Amino acid sequence: MKRLATYLFVSIALGAPAIAVAQVQDTLPARPFVRGGVYDRPYLTRLLGRTVVGGYLEFHARLQRVDGANEDSGFEAKRWNIFTATEVSDFVRVSAELEFEEGGEEVTLEFAAIDFRIAPTFTIRGGMLLSPIGRFNLAHDSPLNEFTDRPLVSTEILGTALSEPGIGVLGLFPVGSGGRITYQVYAVNGFHAGLIEDSPDGTRIPLGRGNVEDNNASPAIVGRLAWSPSLNFELGISAHHGAYNVFEGDGLRVDERRDLTIGVVDLEAALAGFRLTGEAALANIDVPATLRDIFASKQQGLYVEVLRDFGQAWVATLPASFFSVGVRLDIVDMNADRPGDNTRQVTLGINFRPTEDTAFKLDYLRGTGRDVFNNPADHAGILFSIATYF
Amino acid sequence: MERSYRWGVCIPVVLVAVTACDFLLTGPPDDGDLFDAPIPGLTTGELAAFVRGDEGFGRRFSPAEGLGPIFNQAACADCHSGDGRGRPEQALTRISIGSDLALALGGPQIQDKAIPGAQPEVVPDGVDISVRLPPPVFGTGLIEAIPVASIVANADEFDADGDGISGRPNWVLPADFVPADEPGGGTGLQLGRFSRKAQVSSLLEQISAAYHQDMGITSDFLPVENRNPQAGGATAAADPAPDPEIDAATVRAVVDYVRMLAPPAPGDDTPQRLRGSELFTQIGCESCHVREFQTGPSSVAALANQRVVLYSDLLLHDMGDELADNRPDGDATGREWKTLPLWGLRVAREFLNGDLFLMHDGRATTISQAIELHGGEAATARNAFLALSADDREALLEFVRSR
Repeated sequence: MKRLATYLFVSIALGAPAIAVAQVQDTLPARPFVRGGVYDRPYLTRLLGRTVVGGYLEFHARLQRVDGANEDSGFEAKRWNIFTATEVSDFVRVSAELEFEEGGEEVTLEFAAIDFRIAPTFTIRGGMLLSPIGRFNLAHDSPLNEFTDRPLVSTEILGTALSEPGIGVLGLFPVGSGGRITYQVYAVNGFHAGLIEDSPDGTRIPLGRGNVEDNNASPAIVGRLAWSPSLNFELGISAHHGAYNVFEGDGLRVDERRDLTIGVVDLEAALAGFRLTGEAALANIDVPATLRDIFASKQQGLYVEVLRDFGQAWVATLPASFFSVGVRLDIVDMNADRPGDNTRQVTLGINFRPTEDTAFKLDYLRGTGRDVFNNPADHAGILFSIATYF
Repeated sequence: MERSYRWGVCIPVVLVAVTACDFLLTGPPDDGDLFDAPIPGLTTGELAAFVRGDEGFGRRFSPAEGLGPIFNQAACADCHSGDGRGRPEQALTRISIGSDLALALGGPQIQDKAIPGAQPEVVPDGVDISVRLPPPVFGTGLIEAIPVASIVANADEFDADGDGISGRPNWVLPADFVPADEPGGGTGLQLGRFSRKAQVSSLLEQISAAYHQDMGITSDFLPVENRNPQAGGATAAADPAPDPEIDAATVRAVVDYVRMLAPPAPGDDTPQRLRGSELFTQIGCESCHVREFQTGPSSVAALANQRVVLYSDLLLHDMGDELADNRPDGDATGREWKTLPLWGLRVAREFLNGDLFLMHDGRATTISQAIELHGGEAATARNAFLALSADDREALLEFVRSR
């Protein structure tokens, strides 16, 4: 509770200067807080009075092989997600995203937050939050992405989509002409010990998600600071830190406190018709000494992708259509304490978008993974997917 | 319109062409280069069982699924790389004090890892230590199907023929849970064939014990959790999974899988290898590393009446002081080891990231080193190897390397 009080104090302290510059913010040009984020989606209709409803749908077909053996091949009704957003008043808005994944096998409230906007520089947000740990976790809608699969560093290390119950503040400050700095900082429930105890494959941070009822009454803190001097460039740094295990019970110390700390640097830039995005993450996990060697205490990874659009209106009947080509490099090391347990892959993609909101994606990926013995195994795959906002 | 039509035709054509291409989608290695290929001639039903067992062999357990409370590794496949031998990092430590297996001190095997809330075992002072590298598991069904009489026929416990080699079988009592109709089961002493000192007679017992001792996974066959006597009883409660943690069918699936694993194929004969093969016999290697057996009947038809070119007599031999671990296993003494099969050496490095670890504890990293470590009954053959010309020595090594 002492930590929570500290976080709230920090939040309130930040609020004072934020209100002072509120007047300046009203003059800023319209621009989403996070490009492709929860308030930058193409909603279609107002079905429920002041509530806007939308969503996206994603379908995959894949053929993948590891050393010649078929693996993870077939069709997937990957996601059907529904969004709502409501302007309750000039100061209060509510947004939510409900995710139906893998044909409905997994149903998750991915995001459900109340924003109390005091000023552009200072908004209080509470609810089920998308954790600001890297830009990709904040803007990962499939119709937005140019590749069928999400980056490995996001899925394997950061656990995108990572959402947690919590409360905190966000805002933006103008910098120079058209530039800005945005921030988000939240106190959240953090991860639970499933990242070790439910994981058969060594440390797997995504298995510690879903700590809906805080397992250890010890909040974690997560935040992101992003600097964008212009529309064409943004550099972000973010971090997540907190205890993941139950270390106290009935007022007794029942275990050592073990923390998980993740740091991420993300970059987004546009230059000469090319779009460049990337993210690098490093995770440090306090692993019980009795499990070292087979459970990693350090994981790291990155992705870099370069994209270019072309072929505007090549399909004469679809004047808004265009194509994109891209290449992405993924590197993840699931156990940086020792050799092995890592993956490197390159994905080539070509997409056709009849409109900006709908993507037909064709990808070819090729890479090498190393097992816990550090033996290599080649993998490759052809992926086809359709994703569209609605 | 014409342009969109072209795309509509081209994309499916490219897709079909690409999916048919091993070059783009990775191609499988030859079965003969693998440790985890099925023996030829299995029925579709047996192959289905093989695939089920393969999943079990590769399954890693989490603490929530029953791993521990004390354990060494989280999966069968975490010890046996590609179903072959392991690395020294995966070696198991067994302890004893004379003929006492030191159960009260954490024996017979030290479990050096523990789930949260439990305490791992440490090697206590004053005990004999035997480090055991995980052996390959392929070809075990063929070994199981060799008739007892064929193996015993090579025994010469008292060296009646005076050749200095006195191999003897390890007669062991199978565990109570091994049914009489299971290979290696039955009342009374059975011929030990498996593990480093041939102290286990049945695959069912070997695999049930590996689940129990190596992974801390209880089964219908061994349903009581392994405890750490060094830590007191309370830490056993840390394991949240109810016992037994896996059922008999899961164990039997892995038994079937291991039983049906084929040994990799040897390399082609070359003049150098043929010369090495002659020397292998001439200097006495073959006295223990018996080239081949013939299997008898088997419940798996593809295992019956097959040549088994394993280069082992499956008997115990005194290997001298340097390799002695002073730890008895069944009837085997602290100086005796089962002759290790040489099959699979040709591709062993490919499953150890280019490395090679030989002998019971992996202390040798080349075949030459391994030969030089031979003592006891094998000292004469070792000395003969060392006396060979450089060309002949290389020919013999190349022959062994190609098996």
